[in-house]
Amino acid sequence: MKNYLYLFITLFLISCSNEPEPIVYGSDSCSYCKMTIVSKAHSAQLVTKKGKQIKYDAIECLVKDNIQNYDEKEVALILVANYKEPGTMLPAKEAAYVIDEQITSPMGANLAAVKKGNEIEGISASYTWNELKNHFLKEDSQRQR
Amino acid sequence: MRYFLSIIFLLNLLPTFAGEIKVCSSCEVKTVKEAIELAESGDTILIEKGVYKEFDLNIINKSLHLKGVNYPVIDAGMNGTAFGIKADGVTIEGLKIINVGRSYTKDFAAILLHGSKNFVLKNNILENVFFGFLIEKSHKGIITGNRIKSEGGEESNSGNGIHLWSSTEVIVKNNQVEGMRDGIYIEFGKKCEILNNVCEKNIRYGLHFMFSDGNSYIGNTFEENGAGVAVMFSKFIEMKKNIFRKSWGSASYGLLLKEISDATLENNIFEDNTIAVNADGTTRVKFIENDFKNNGYAIKVHGGAYTTSFSRNNFLYNSFDVAYSGRLNDNSFNGNYWSDYTGYDLNNDKVGDVPFRPVKLFSYLVNKTPEAIVLLRSIFIDLVDFSEKVSPIFTPAGLIDHEPQMNRIKW
Repeated sequence: MKNYLYLFITLFLISCSNEPEPIVYGSDSCSYCKMTIVSKAHSAQLVTKKGKQIKYDAIECLVKDNIQNYDEKEVALILVANYKEPGTMLPAKEAAYVIDEQITSPMGANLAAVKKGNEIEGISASYTWNELKNHFLKEDSQRQR
Repeated sequence: MRYFLSIIFLLNLLPTFAGEIKVCSSCEVKTVKEAIELAESGDTILIEKGVYKEFDLNIINKSLHLKGVNYPVIDAGMNGTAFGIKADGVTIEGLKIINVGRSYTKDFAAILLHGSKNFVLKNNILENVFFGFLIEKSHKGIITGNRIKSEGGEESNSGNGIHLWSSTEVIVKNNQVEGMRDGIYIEFGKKCEILNNVCEKNIRYGLHFMFSDGNSYIGNTFEENGAGVAVMFSKFIEMKKNIFRKSWGSASYGLLLKEISDATLENNIFEDNTIAVNADGTTRVKFIENDFKNNGYAIKVHGGAYTTSFSRNNFLYNSFDVAYSGRLNDNSFNGNYWSDYTGYDLNNDKVGDVPFRPVKLFSYLVNKTPEAIVLLRSIFIDLVDFSEKVSPIFTPAGLIDHEPQMNRIKW
């Protein structure tokens, strides 16, 4: 009986995996803006506690979707592309965010993420994850006014 | 008389004011770079047939006319940008530019224009390039008769064929773009005209508008692209006489409309697409005299679509003519031809006597449970749709064509 119990528990744990699924570039589409995801330097993804995989073509899409549609309690994992090493992902809270005209991100926010302390040359202004969310919140409320 | 002679003398001198520099392997000037350095504003540089392994050819503040004779090859050797231009009145004509370097963070291009006016890019061939033409903050230009081709393949590290950023009054005409990320991409562009181009097999979109108001695209063909055209966050876009074909795949559309308003679609043909038009957040969009033929979905509306009207369109043999996933808004369907229409016309006025409901109940089921699509051709589903047609309960009451046409509309 006990063995069965263990089996059930492991099955339960496996079925509720919160591991991020890799993004298939050129084929997956952004769940916020519907664009096909192509840029390895700007993509982002979110996994909910229920294991739902949500993918974005730009960090600005992730942030806007996050502000509008997700409660922090539902979210298991947020990853953003590392601009300096395209194709690799960083946990959203451990990244530094830069906004500058020389970055051309897919949805026009000129936004990219890098490792903290590994900022891009010539760009001084950087945001933490929370500052970035506030930045977009402010923009949102200004537009509504 | 003497004055007259001196005027003739002066007129004879004129052509030499606009000088001409020849470049070839046996000429005095052997490289394009040297020629550009020697040239003065207004000069023509004739590049003879041959292979020139050069890159970073910068034309700054000189109005030059570069002309290739029998398509000389400029081979950038995967090193970076071939031509970088910051000057007004530059013409580049008849060159073959190949092997532009690739980078994730730098936008290398065959021809990069920045802050230039009155440019002409004509009859060039670009092969194996990252970006083809990258036009930044430039105005009043013509891009015509170019052929751009790259083997981006499944890899995402390819750039756009013709990329206009913050540019106005640019005409893009008779170009052929194949195998790029987006064939033609317009970001923050205004008053641009995209005419008679062919965009095929591009990874993402054939043509892509982003934050660009007041543009038009007419007479283009989009075939086998990831998605044909995406018009996003833009106002006043005119779309006429285009052909959208063969965008197949679960994330593929003939035309994606996202957050746009005040647009007109007229005389377009949508054929063999998984979704012909995917609309999300559209306001005051008019569909007049378009053909929707053999598509999975002809019109799929997510979220909101306000004051969108469909009149005199032909809906021919689509699996679903119209599908809604959100609640219904104030859209109108009137006077279209529906191949699925089974009504009659007793008074013989060419208008069906029974109104037509284009939304099938089954489309709601498929929206909720995509796997249910395997039942598409089953008799049971026909029965469900038929009973819904006889006594509609689930499909929105307002979604009706009161004047379905009996004959295909000729336009």
